[in-house]
Amino acid sequence: MRSAHFKSLIVAAALVGSLAAGAIRAQQDVKVSHTSLKAGDMAPDFTLLDNQWKQIHLADYRGKKNVVLAFYVLAFTEG
Amino acid sequence: MAKLEASDAVVFGISIDSPAANNAFAQKIGVTFPLLSDMNRKVLKQYGILKMYNVQKEEYDWAQRTTFVIDKQGVIQSVEEEASAINPNNAVAVCTKLPKK
Repeated sequence: MRSAHFKSLIVAAALVGSLAAGAIRAQQDVKVSHTSLKAGDMAPDFTLLDNQWKQIHLADYRGKKNVVLAFYVLAFTEG
Repeated sequence: MAKLEASDAVVFGISIDSPAANNAFAQKIGVTFPLLSDMNRKVLKQYGILKMYNVQKEEYDWAQRTTFVIDKQGVIQSVEEEASAINPNNAVAVCTKLPKK
């Protein structure tokens, strides 16, 4: 009797665990698939190296140029 | 691309590749605009566009293909994701409509 109770506890714990894992995974999917930024938001500033190892600051273009940021998956791919 | 420059815009490509890889890529495809390296994925996280890719059963977090148009005040004017981000015509249209000053 006692061992049956224990077994059902284990099953319940495993269920809760897998549900939680599923929820975390689902949350990650939402997080990674869509940007929360939208038209009207301020663009987060950044400093990155260009392909000549030169630093590019987004803020340097403020008041001077419109900026198009084209994020791509990987170099040498169609993406 | 000339159309974008005419509309007073600069273009940056951004990926997680190294500057060396981006430079080779730039030469291969003949782009005239800078390709930026977000090797630590900082900007991808800031812009919320890290995406998991499953390659040979391993997961990698790379950029989601996305295009942002930012005006001279630093305000985002348009966001395009996935397939629509490949075609630059919309970005050109948005930039052309922005005030010149």
